[in-house]
Amino acid sequence: MSSSVYRGRHGQWAFVTHRITGFLVFLFLLLHVVDVSLVNANPRVYDEVHDLYGNVFLRLFEVGLLAALVFHAFNGLRIVSYDFFPRAMKHERTMLWGVLFLTGLATVIGGWVILHPFFFGKA
Amino acid sequence: MTTTIEPRAPRTSVTTQPRLQRRPRVNTETWSWYFMRISGLVLLFLALLHFFMTHILHDVTETNLAFVTARWQNPMWRLYDWVLLALGLFHGLNGLRFVMDDYIRAPWKRITTKAVVYGTTFTLFAYGTITILTFR
Repeated sequence: MSSSVYRGRHGQWAFVTHRITGFLVFLFLLLHVVDVSLVNANPRVYDEVHDLYGNVFLRLFEVGLLAALVFHAFNGLRIVSYDFFPRAMKHERTMLWGVLFLTGLATVIGGWVILHPFFFGKA
Repeated sequence: MTTTIEPRAPRTSVTTQPRLQRRPRVNTETWSWYFMRISGLVLLFLALLHFFMTHILHDVTETNLAFVTARWQNPMWRLYDWVLLALGLFHGLNGLRFVMDDYIRAPWKRITTKAVVYGTTFTLFAYGTITILTFR
């Protein structure tokens, strides 16, 4: 797999994580097209499936989706910024920490909001 | 304007030629590169806002049939969802194309995997488009 090896270390991990999160978000999108299309195919089943999304396991899954989505979005922005502002490359390490910080922050805050109704009921 | 005639560089293999003397070529991969960046930037806003609206602003259990019906009364939301569907699927498909080219080496395996992935994506794109257009 020589084609996908960067210079190792954090850049390599960012690259691998970008691919994995992209793949996971894509898989979710495929599932999501099918579940939303139930509004036409069978509206009652659509509502039943959406009640299922309120289950704690699927809520945890949604928190995972949020983490993958935010990482992929901001890491993508980091990559694009090097393409258009090559000098930003000097700060690539700091910027990766920024991406991880934003991902962690969004996941903790979003995760709290998403899981809250399951444990404490709806407001 | 002064024109100077540069002596022609000796014929060498691509790898020994200095970078600047190589002519940049625009091909399909260049457009793929631009597509990933532009669609990625648009998706950053569309996808994150969509997630925010359906999981943070509203609880996921509230996004039932009544929610979709009310939301899709406005054709702009249908357009928003369709753009998100199209860009999301094709940004993902193009990304997977790189991944498949990197990791799947045997030609028959690559062709088979691509046929399945491309087929699934185009089918779901058509299915999603029909859903957005025909819902009443």
